[in-house]
Amino acid sequence: MQYSIKVVGQALITTLQGELDLHTSPQFKADIAAKMEAYPDIKHLIFDVKNMSFIDSSGLGVILGRYREIQPRGGKMYFVQANPQIKRVLQVSGLHKISEFVNSSQEVLDRV
Amino acid sequence: METKNWIKLEFPSETVNVAFARTAIALFAAQLDLTLDELEDIKVAVSEAVSNSVIHGYQNNLGTIIVQASYGNGQLQIVVEDFGQGIPDIELAKETGYTTIPQERMGLGLTFIYEYMDDVVLTSQVNQGTKVTMKKNVPNQES
Ligand SMILES: Nc1ncnc2c1ncn2[C@@H]1O[C@H](COP(=O)(O)OP(=O)(O)OP(=O)(O)O)[C@@H](O)[C@H]1O
Ligand SMILES: [Mg+2]
Repeated sequence: MQYSIKVVGQALITTLQGELDLHTSPQFKADIAAKMEAYPDIKHLIFDVKNMSFIDSSGLGVILGRYREIQPRGGKMYFVQANPQIKRVLQVSGLHKISEFVNSSQEVLDRV
Repeated sequence: METKNWIKLEFPSETVNVAFARTAIALFAAQLDLTLDELEDIKVAVSEAVSNSVIHGYQNNLGTIIVQASYGNGQLQIVVEDFGQGIPDIELAKETGYTTIPQERMGLGLTFIYEYMDDVVLTSQVNQGTKVTMKKNVPNQES
């Protein structure tokens, strides 16, 4: 699992590569939480999952936890280029109702 | 059922073994004529069951997990078993969103297992352990 986390304006852009599961999610959770603490006005979460090959409930738990932080600020959550497995997992979990599937991070940055 | 092939894995409940288990079972399942989507479903289901054994069954202490897979008569069967603390109320545990660790988990694992597999049997006894038996229909047997 590899990832990079960067802040652009009020958006947090996370690019993920590999498999996010019980083993890899604690470190990811710590890193993304630290970044959000350092930038308390972050409103939008963009997850670039184009190269993410696997996610299960452990990974979804981390993502939903971050969403709960930005929700009171009126923020939104976006998934860039989700593959069919990831889309399906997001649908079964209901997370698709509170997020948007997009083609690029730029597309979101242009809008918010 | 006439079993054509089978495997059995036994490993300690280390989080790093979750990926090993789902990948190994997917490789075994790839002997059958399954679509890539179906293989992904199987990976998620195994990942959820093994993760539950690690997190809830053994509460992050070390214990043994056994994963078995077999196929024959148009079905792939996967059994994930632990000898941990068990589930007091199975019907409640199966409810979407029910979790005993609400601070960090979403109560989705069992929902994924039931959604992604064709037939699931969950049995458990407090202080003895939990066994998840899940089946996927494979109309065309071997590839
Ligand atoms: N192998 C197990 N041993 C003991 N308890 C279990 C086991 N599997 C599931 N449970 C119980 O059933 C509940 C529901 O399981 P489920 O996988 O649906 O959700 P979760 O693991 O709590 O959250 P998530 O899967 O979303 O991370 C768990 O919170 C736990 O109390
Ligand atoms: Mg679970």
